[in-house]
Amino acid sequence: MYKKRITPALIKLVLGIIAAVLAVLFIITTVASVKAGYSALKPALWGGMLLIAAIVLLAVGSSQLVRARQFNRMVEESGVTVKEEKRATIGDFFKKIFDGIKRFFLSIGNEFKDIITTFINGDWKTKLSYLVMGFGCLARGQILRGILFLLFEIVFIGYMIFQGGYWLSMLPSLGKVGQHKEWVNVGGISVEKMLPGDNSFKILLYGVLTMFFIIAFIYTWRQNVKQNRIAEEIIRSGKKLKSGKSDLRSLVDDQFHKTLLALPLTGILIFTVMPIVFMVLVAFTGYDGAHNGIANLFHWEGLKHFQELLSWSNGSNTYSATFGEILTWTLIWAVFATFSNYFLGMLVAMAINKKGIKLKKVWRTILVMTIAIPQFISLLYVSKMFAKNGLINLFLIDHGIIKLGQELPFWEDPTWARITVILINIWIGIPYLMLIATGILMNIPADLYESAKIDGANSWQQYKKITLPYMLFITGPYLLTSFIGNMNNFNVIYLLTGGGPTNPAASTAAGNAGYTDLLITWLYKITMGEEAKYYMASVIGIMVFVVVGIIALVVYNLLPSVKNEEDFQ
Amino acid sequence: MASVKLTNVKKIYGSNDGTRNADQVVAVKDFNLEIKDKEFVVFVGPSGCGKSTTLRMIAGLEDISEGTVEIDGEVVNDLQPKDRNIAMVFQNYALYPHMTVYDNIAFSLRLQKLPEDVIFNKVTNAAEILGITDYLMRKPRALSGGQRQRVAIGRAMVRDSKVFLMDEPLSNLDAKLRNQMRAEIILLRQKLDTTFIYVTHDQTEAMTLGDRIVIMKDGYIMQVGTPTEVFEMPENLFVAEFIGAPKMNIMHTQLTREGGKYFVSPFGAKIEVDGIKGDMLAKAGAGTGEVILGVRPEHIALADAAAPNTIPVTLEVNEMMGSELHLHVYTEDGTRLIVRVPTMDLSTERRESLVQGTKLNITFSGKVMHFFDPESEKNLLT
Amino acid sequence: MSNSNNMPKRHMGLRTANTVSNVLIYILLVVICIVWLIPFIFILLQSFRVESTCQVGYVIPHTWGLKNYVNLLYSESSGLFGTAFSKWYLNTFIIALCTAVIQTVIVLCMSYALSRFRFKMRKALMQFMLILGFFPGMLTMIILYRVLKDLGLTQANAVPGLILVYVASSGMGYYVSKGFFDTIPKSLDEAARIDGATRAQVLWRIILPLAKPIVIYTVLTAFMAPWGDYVFASYISMGSTAGKNVAVGLYEWLSQDQIMNNYTMFCAGGVLVAIPVTVLFMCLQKYYVEGVTGGAVKG
Repeated sequence: MYKKRITPALIKLVLGIIAAVLAVLFIITTVASVKAGYSALKPALWGGMLLIAAIVLLAVGSSQLVRARQFNRMVEESGVTVKEEKRATIGDFFKKIFDGIKRFFLSIGNEFKDIITTFINGDWKTKLSYLVMGFGCLARGQILRGILFLLFEIVFIGYMIFQGGYWLSMLPSLGKVGQHKEWVNVGGISVEKMLPGDNSFKILLYGVLTMFFIIAFIYTWRQNVKQNRIAEEIIRSGKKLKSGKSDLRSLVDDQFHKTLLALPLTGILIFTVMPIVFMVLVAFTGYDGAHNGIANLFHWEGLKHFQELLSWSNGSNTYSATFGEILTWTLIWAVFATFSNYFLGMLVAMAINKKGIKLKKVWRTILVMTIAIPQFISLLYVSKMFAKNGLINLFLIDHGIIKLGQELPFWEDPTWARITVILINIWIGIPYLMLIATGILMNIPADLYESAKIDGANSWQQYKKITLPYMLFITGPYLLTSFIGNMNNFNVIYLLTGGGPTNPAASTAAGNAGYTDLLITWLYKITMGEEAKYYMASVIGIMVFVVVGIIALVVYNLLPSVKNEEDFQ
Repeated sequence: MASVKLTNVKKIYGSNDGTRNADQVVAVKDFNLEIKDKEFVVFVGPSGCGKSTTLRMIAGLEDISEGTVEIDGEVVNDLQPKDRNIAMVFQNYALYPHMTVYDNIAFSLRLQKLPEDVIFNKVTNAAEILGITDYLMRKPRALSGGQRQRVAIGRAMVRDSKVFLMDEPLSNLDAKLRNQMRAEIILLRQKLDTTFIYVTHDQTEAMTLGDRIVIMKDGYIMQVGTPTEVFEMPENLFVAEFIGAPKMNIMHTQLTREGGKYFVSPFGAKIEVDGIKGDMLAKAGAGTGEVILGVRPEHIALADAAAPNTIPVTLEVNEMMGSELHLHVYTEDGTRLIVRVPTMDLSTERRESLVQGTKLNITFSGKVMHFFDPESEKNLLT
Repeated sequence: MSNSNNMPKRHMGLRTANTVSNVLIYILLVVICIVWLIPFIFILLQSFRVESTCQVGYVIPHTWGLKNYVNLLYSESSGLFGTAFSKWYLNTFIIALCTAVIQTVIVLCMSYALSRFRFKMRKALMQFMLILGFFPGMLTMIILYRVLKDLGLTQANAVPGLILVYVASSGMGYYVSKGFFDTIPKSLDEAARIDGATRAQVLWRIILPLAKPIVIYTVLTAFMAPWGDYVFASYISMGSTAGKNVAVGLYEWLSQDQIMNNYTMFCAGGVLVAIPVTVLFMCLQKYYVEGVTGGAVKG
């Protein structure tokens, strides 16, 4: 028996009730502060927003509930049986992860089994290849492959003896002797001289590189073994082995992807993967401005910094309190920045696309032109425009609308600053969203609208039942990426406010965090200057990764375009 | 010009193609076939039966999971498509949109680094044969469907390849053009005189074009034979129903034997199996019992209500096809049958009286029946 | 009679409703266009103001002049094009040009491989890169800075260093062009391979000519990005004037202690930066729109 689920409606109702209660609380606060003569802007804003949210949620939730129950009653009475659609559940999701892990270990087991059986069943050439890489290839006439394997082994062994061994041995301690003074005998006179010691930074860096190299070696060795097995199989079946020439030729043909991917992936490995691994490791060390690894060594410090960030007991002037505040603002910012742009951009696109509107191209071009102008110019200019002594305030003073000393605190008051940032971000983002929305709107098959019109739908119903679902379906993944992009929107925040106004409670201990700081700008501030706390930046970076990862994972599993790919096709 | 031989060919999707699909799909299962030099072989079957996959394995566009494909005696499993010396025509034509018709046809020749004058001669020659000389300097987008198809064929023609592969080349054309192009392919085949492998889902194309037809279902070959063989002696129920339009009528009935003669009794009418089929049954020593009886629509006739051993049916739909009528009828127990009656056999009044709900009686000849085992669905006579 | 009266009336009603809504939309669009253009018009106007160099409460200059532009490009001590701004401009231009070329090659390689080949680990690779993207790129700056410093590619030599940083990981931005490649029918590749082309020839002779819009899109976006990058550029050129790009240089002119003297110069600099980029962009607008809409639709 098919039934409409009422859980979504119930969730909306519960959220609506919570929002209503909070709204009432904020409104009471507002009234109280107005009576007491305090500024009531902040609670009033919160109260208003929550009230709107509550009304929307309650209205949507209750109508959904009523309709679902009505439908279910009808189904029950009619006795019709309809098969229920299979829904992906959280259980399925975990099962998928579990299966993935299981497959991973199984495949590793298989690799080992294969290595052993290849050795047992292989001829002497194969067996010798386990020690001398590429020997089998050389002995069977695949000179090119053999030389490459052998060369790699020689380079690897050479590196490990002369370099890698040292870095690896130092990795657990990250250096023993720092920069130090020593009495040195110079021409018979004893002089105190500064001598360089170990370099923690280099040890960590080259330690990581060496690890990468070892993994690469193990992989290549495994390939070497596999090549031997394949070669033996081919010889046994009476076919000819591939020559070096055909190996090279296949690099522009059936193996062309290897050629194509070699450069990009090397770049990503060296300039993204390796630094990320390094920085993740930094979170577990004491690397900061004072302990830069040369003048003062740094060492492994375990989970200490994570505790520092996540423990809530240390009062307000700390990382943990600041982290909570900034995370909250980051999420609020990302929600507003993403959805305000999304819906307003869609609105503008629909306005331009409406039948009967002339000069469509002109409107579009004017908006698109603003994309072209480098963001730093427009953002910096607008930032200064709203400043205390900026164009707007000076204009208002010149015309006697406000008095000197009563400037509008666009960047000085936390709430003003946050709202201004969001509004300016709309200004920045709408042209782009308008473009995307236009592209999609024009792709919606016209017959959908025609049939809706024949069915008697008005424009609002057409929007609600066709345009919006279609847009959401197509742009689901885009919304997710733009949400993540906004969480990490360094440019807009940094160029507009620089994170300010500064939060006095978090000023010194927590890297001068301000009220509009996102996690990413905060992280940047922490890494700047003499007191840079790289380990803390790294811990925050890991936190950003975790938050973003969780959001992406949840949303990705809810996205309609991932769940039912064929709905609109 | 070459022979093609497929031995135990198998195609398994999801094993090693990077999709990491946990459940593997076997698209082609144990395919064995020898195609002689200059033969025209048609692979036919419903969608998803593996016919296109098999063709693409011969072309080298899909990896062969198991088994071997030989062209001219050489195993080509590990050869790239370009090294197999084949030509192929695609369903959606696959013309290069940024090149003119001339450049499209010349593309393969230029890759072979032939001198331009040789290329010119070959391209204009092919264009002449196909009647597209006027369009040589146009881009594909300016051509109609039929013209595009000709260009695609031209592109395959100039290569002088050993094997000519065609993957549903007529499916994107409208019905009239399809008939015309079908005739042209027959002519083309006579001119080119090479080995053809042709994939289609349309049994009419298969019957009209093929020297031999390979009928496939779910990755298995159901029957290989000449058009006459598969029509007259379908090896199993699937082939019987797939070949011929409208499709064969199927009835569950009893086969009985009385004094050396075989009888079937569909819907209570006792009909003697006579002629060749009777002899064949006797020769095969067929037992009695339950059988699936197949009778083609053209072998069913309308009968007088009074005549003995006829089957009473009710008319549901009367399709006027022009030269013949297709009468969709159902028996008392609800079995649906199709009767094909030449229009000329009926008087105008009789034709007009055939409306929905009309009671009719039908009968059929015992000479042209097909018998299938109800379990294995194999033809009892093969 | 009433019938014949009603019909046109209703018709008129519909039409007026439509006209009213259209008028409202026109008003909305005009307002939007004004709001969107105003800051840029302001910048342009203020770049011609010569009576003062700080922020003021009016927009239209009292005295017009080109002093700000002259000061950007010429100074008595260093001559024409010897100024710091000229150097930054040249830096940015070189970076943008190199990035545009190299990044396009890398992105196209990556997206073609991921669109057309079905190799082992393909899905895993794509997921891995997706997850990598969740890490704030800012973090890698710390180590990249030290590595580049060891290589001597920071401060005054920041230009090659920046190119390296921009280009190295650009393979991760393959989504849009892969989406475009996915829309080119695979049967074209197959036909070409049967016609005797290697995979490399297929890419060069079939796919690239067809992918012209996305090639231009990639070049355009790659060219535009360095003009606006502040973070990496400021980090890597830290403390050196010769290694800055325009964004870093102009940013400093608006700092507390410089804004009084340099505000109008900033406006003039902004105009000089915006002009070439905007002109290029407007010429290639069609391709940009195609890339953006196609990319978003593909996800």
